[in-house]
Amino acid sequence: MALAWRNLSQSKLRTVLTTIGVIIGVGAIITMVSLGLGLQKNIVNNALSRLDVYTRITVIGVSADELLAANEKQSDSDDTSVDDPGDTGSAAKSLPIIDDKAIARMQEISGVKYVVPQMSFVSFTRFNNRTRRVNIGGAPTTIPDYDAFDNLLAGTKFSSDDAQEAILTEDGLNLFNTDQVSPFGPGAGPRRVGARGGRRTIFPAAKTEEERQRDASQVIGKELVLLTLKSGVQPASLVTPQSNPLNDENDLSNDPRFERHVFKIVGVKNSVGAQVINLAGNAQVFIPMKQAKHYRESTRDTMAQMTQALAGDPGYPAAEVRVIDPSQVQPVEEKLRGMGFRAFSITNAIDAIRLIFLIINGSLALIGGIALLVASFGISNTMIMSIRERTREIGIMKAIGGSDGEIMKIFFVEASFIGLSGGVFGVVGGWTIDAIANFVVNKWVIASTTSIQFFSIPWYLWGGAITFAVFVSLIAAIYPAFRAAKVDPIKALRHE
Amino acid sequence: MSILETKDVTRDYRMGGEIVRALAGVSISVEKGEFVGILGTSGSGKSTLLNMLGGLDRPSTGEIIFNGGSLAPLSSWQMSRYRLHSVGMIFQSFNLIPTMTARQNVSLALAFAGMSQKERRAKAMDLLQRVGLSARSEHRPTELSGGEQQRVSIARALANEPEILLADEPTGNLDSGRAAELIGFLNEMRRHENKTIVMVTHDQELIRPYADRTIKLKDGRVVETAGA
Repeated sequence: MALAWRNLSQSKLRTVLTTIGVIIGVGAIITMVSLGLGLQKNIVNNALSRLDVYTRITVIGVSADELLAANEKQSDSDDTSVDDPGDTGSAAKSLPIIDDKAIARMQEISGVKYVVPQMSFVSFTRFNNRTRRVNIGGAPTTIPDYDAFDNLLAGTKFSSDDAQEAILTEDGLNLFNTDQVSPFGPGAGPRRVGARGGRRTIFPAAKTEEERQRDASQVIGKELVLLTLKSGVQPASLVTPQSNPLNDENDLSNDPRFERHVFKIVGVKNSVGAQVINLAGNAQVFIPMKQAKHYRESTRDTMAQMTQALAGDPGYPAAEVRVIDPSQVQPVEEKLRGMGFRAFSITNAIDAIRLIFLIINGSLALIGGIALLVASFGISNTMIMSIRERTREIGIMKAIGGSDGEIMKIFFVEASFIGLSGGVFGVVGGWTIDAIANFVVNKWVIASTTSIQFFSIPWYLWGGAITFAVFVSLIAAIYPAFRAAKVDPIKALRHE
Repeated sequence: MSILETKDVTRDYRMGGEIVRALAGVSISVEKGEFVGILGTSGSGKSTLLNMLGGLDRPSTGEIIFNGGSLAPLSSWQMSRYRLHSVGMIFQSFNLIPTMTARQNVSLALAFAGMSQKERRAKAMDLLQRVGLSARSEHRPTELSGGEQQRVSIARALANEPEILLADEPTGNLDSGRAAELIGFLNEMRRHENKTIVMVTHDQELIRPYADRTIKLKDGRVVETAGA
């Protein structure tokens, strides 16, 4: 083995150039695949860091359009053509409508901790002298294990199911502090913040924990006003051309068409650690479930009412099923599906994500592997040239008693040195590039208080890359080594 | 039983479109402890014969017998072991590896025999000392005189303690002083360690004082033998 090292160091330049090929190949693999793995880790970990995700199943309900379409079919099935064999008689019955009865049925499945229907509606609310259109969600108060409000930024939970109390999310709070008129209205999106501490960044820096807590606790106890139209009222146009009930408090209170319902803000929900899939349709404001049901009716628009009159009640848009522990997710999900409900859990999504990343990472590794393959030709070339130059040496070695196999071994060891050192340096190089890129992105592109790791190099990545590099170099050495072994010592000794 | 024998050995080469016969029916035998000289002009086939004895080449017909065993059925690997353990060769042009020191050159032969690094070092130094070169062990061949290089070569040939030493015109590149020294040394080997020496040369005068026997080749045949 020392012989091989010595041989390589004889022609340092040539060895180094060949090794560089391997370094680039390995470095490319490491850099690219580590990016893929890092993203995967971030996304998956991000999704899985919410502990509740492990135990949540989402059940999707029936939309109004589906209900209408199903009712269409029902009338058609009066004639003799059988379009949908499964669709006989009452179409509405075969749809997995989530109504209170369905909720009760789901609740009965063993392993289920609780079932919460998605109850949300859009409405106008007034706070901080601003009127905004928000999503309001109903939250259960009678389920002891319901933990959406366990980690409030400030304040307390609802005191009862009947209370006229509200809990805002941070996003909701921000709505009332800015010029944005609705969650998706003009003004939405990352705001171009000027230099913050002298650093210009593309996305604004987040507030610190203390800032957020301070802002949140300031609104506890204040009043949030829910606006509804008095029943039977024709909206028509503004009462007078000059009146501006949207912005003027007096005009609003004096306007006979509106009813004002006062809710007391008792809490602010923490956006960090928030549920990834927010069941209440991304609500900005939460009120107790009973209140929500009540106001949902009174805020219903005419289209919804017409749909109900024409085709029936489509039921809740979705429901959240919580199981007692992660092992129950699979069986409960199957049972729900067996009942005809459309259930899915994050594990499906995770599986899909895993598959996608498998493909992505595999492709990246393949590209890097091609670079390595090219490098292997370089290794072959180097070895062949080396053998040509050392023909006499090989002859001498054979003359003093070296066997063909031993000669071959020498060249294989030389090649594996190139592969090994190229692999190791490639890993180091890839890691360095990752570190630099990570630093640059964290410093100049986004401003986060903690640095995010975009790249991940697990042991099997660098171990695999080095092994592959050595393997490739050995393969590259096969032909040259055979050539070396076949050298005829007598001819070689005459060689110069 | 003779230590080395050739039985009707022939060696043909294909050169261009023709077949050249380098050896034609050569039968000789060498006893253990003998100093045999093989004489002849260039082209007589003497080097070819020595290569056969050294296991570097195989005859086209006939066989080589070492200690009663024929080399003919030996595999390539077995032949390499024969070269490693049974014979030691020295050449006119020394055939040292130029990028290695004297000690490393000797160690190389020991490495092929599977010796550990520490053992190799010790034995190589010991061998170099026997040929009087311990002071120059870390020098490369280019830094050594012809005589010194040949001595390294001898040390290497002796490394695995072969029974036979084969020398192909070993004094060709040496001045007469060194040449006499060399032959004297080979003779010492024969007398004190009972090594068998077969030396190819074109200079009869050189070996006459030492050789027990001489065999003369011409055009690939034995034409004369002299001595015991």
